[in-house]
Amino acid sequence: MKGSKGSGTRWIKGLAFAALSMVSSHSWAGLYDDGKVFLTGGVFTVDGAGGGGAVPWATITGYETRDGINGGVGFTYVQLPNYSLNFLGGSIGFFDRFELSYVNTKLSTNLGNVDTVALVASVLNVDNNLGLDPNGSNLHMETYGAKLRLFGDAVYTSDSYLPQTAIGAFYKVNSTKEFVKTLSAAEDKDWEAYMAFTKVFFRYSTLVNLTVRYTSANQIGLTGFGSCDNGHRNCNNDKEFRVEFSTAYLLQKNFAIGGEYQQHGNQQKNKPVDTGDLLAGDGNGGLLNPIVGGLVGGVIGATNLRDSLVQNESDWYDVFAAYAPSKNYSITIAYLFLGDIAVAREQNGLYLSLHATF
Amino acid sequence: MKAFTRNLMLGAALSMSALVATPSFAAEEKTQPILGITSSALEEFGGREGVRAWVESLFYYIMLDNRIAPIFREFGNVERQTFLNTQLEIMVLGGPNEYQGASMSAAHADLGITMAQFNAVVEAAYNACERNVIKYHTCNQLINALAPFTADIVTR
Repeated sequence: MKGSKGSGTRWIKGLAFAALSMVSSHSWAGLYDDGKVFLTGGVFTVDGAGGGGAVPWATITGYETRDGINGGVGFTYVQLPNYSLNFLGGSIGFFDRFELSYVNTKLSTNLGNVDTVALVASVLNVDNNLGLDPNGSNLHMETYGAKLRLFGDAVYTSDSYLPQTAIGAFYKVNSTKEFVKTLSAAEDKDWEAYMAFTKVFFRYSTLVNLTVRYTSANQIGLTGFGSCDNGHRNCNNDKEFRVEFSTAYLLQKNFAIGGEYQQHGNQQKNKPVDTGDLLAGDGNGGLLNPIVGGLVGGVIGATNLRDSLVQNESDWYDVFAAYAPSKNYSITIAYLFLGDIAVAREQNGLYLSLHATF
Repeated sequence: MKAFTRNLMLGAALSMSALVATPSFAAEEKTQPILGITSSALEEFGGREGVRAWVESLFYYIMLDNRIAPIFREFGNVERQTFLNTQLEIMVLGGPNEYQGASMSAAHADLGITMAQFNAVVEAAYNACERNVIKYHTCNQLINALAPFTADIVTR
């Protein structure tokens, strides 16, 4: 018995060693490739895929050519008036044909009204599973992505209008289920698919990208997918086609400026934050009314608080500058015009992204 | 009648010489990039002399790059390459077609050039533009005009 256990461990060790040596010496040395031209793999998007800041492009991430593998890790920080976001992830490109990506996203809120709800819920000891924290609530999402280049060439076939064309998909898992439900979303995890078309027009030193995404995401999935009426009733999570556009003008071979547009849905429009009977719309503001009245000296009642918790979503715009000092890293600075996000209005702010490629 | 015969013979001789000359003399055609290239591209490169200087810089950077220098050392006579490339670049930048070399596909067929090696030459091309103080936007006109040759050159 003891002997068989020992040989089992040995067998696993041997397998691990074989796998390691295969990766480190033989195939890896032959497959590693960084032969692609500057920035033509795109930078690190908020979904992890190679592209602009928010829009996935048809180009495959990394600096590999069709003969090898390359990839990198990315970190993005976004500071908005009522939110801050962190994106940490990585992506690998295979043979300039296929790409895999992963991103871990955290959104921290700085919302007085939501904090008040959370505080009152905790003071009342009403366990409604709102997923809220009086000290600032967080949303957390993981995004798994894959992209396959179908046909066309963005860079080399400058005598043809045929763009580089790729299809891709994301699987997004929001682990802050209660919060997402409180925001009236129908689902906390879902997939989305997209088709992207990219072309470089050397005549004008300009890259143009069009992406069509099939999705039901709210705020790229950070506030869930689809929507429900209060009480998680009449849920609707039908996907729709949304258009995204991205353009970059190259000022020099490793420095680009540009802008993006991303169409968003508005399924949570006018949906109040679903706090159950805490903020019931019965005129006297449900359970919260006397509490909030006491808390804030009667300046606003629970009805006002409820009205301030009405949600909206806007299309996203951004302008960016991307700089790749070497093939090993790029820095992207952007200013985002994200409009209304959930219960907060006019969320415009700075975006800073680092993409290290190996 | 005499004039007619002479014209006929001249015409025949011309068409014959055209038949013979096409493959050996002008063996590569001007590319047709979408949206074209700026009409002042050749001028912005500094005309014929400017293109010649750029090609010399190109080979300077190529021969410094370990990824591609061995190929040129083994298969290419750099002096001849510089001469032919100057003709090729003048042609694709909108100048006359005086290119005397082989077609791009014939010249590269047996070399087994990879995409990474091709891109290394592209990097050398941009470095040559910077060295010769040719604007990035102007440099892209040449890249635009040469890019369609990629499929002929990269065979592996």
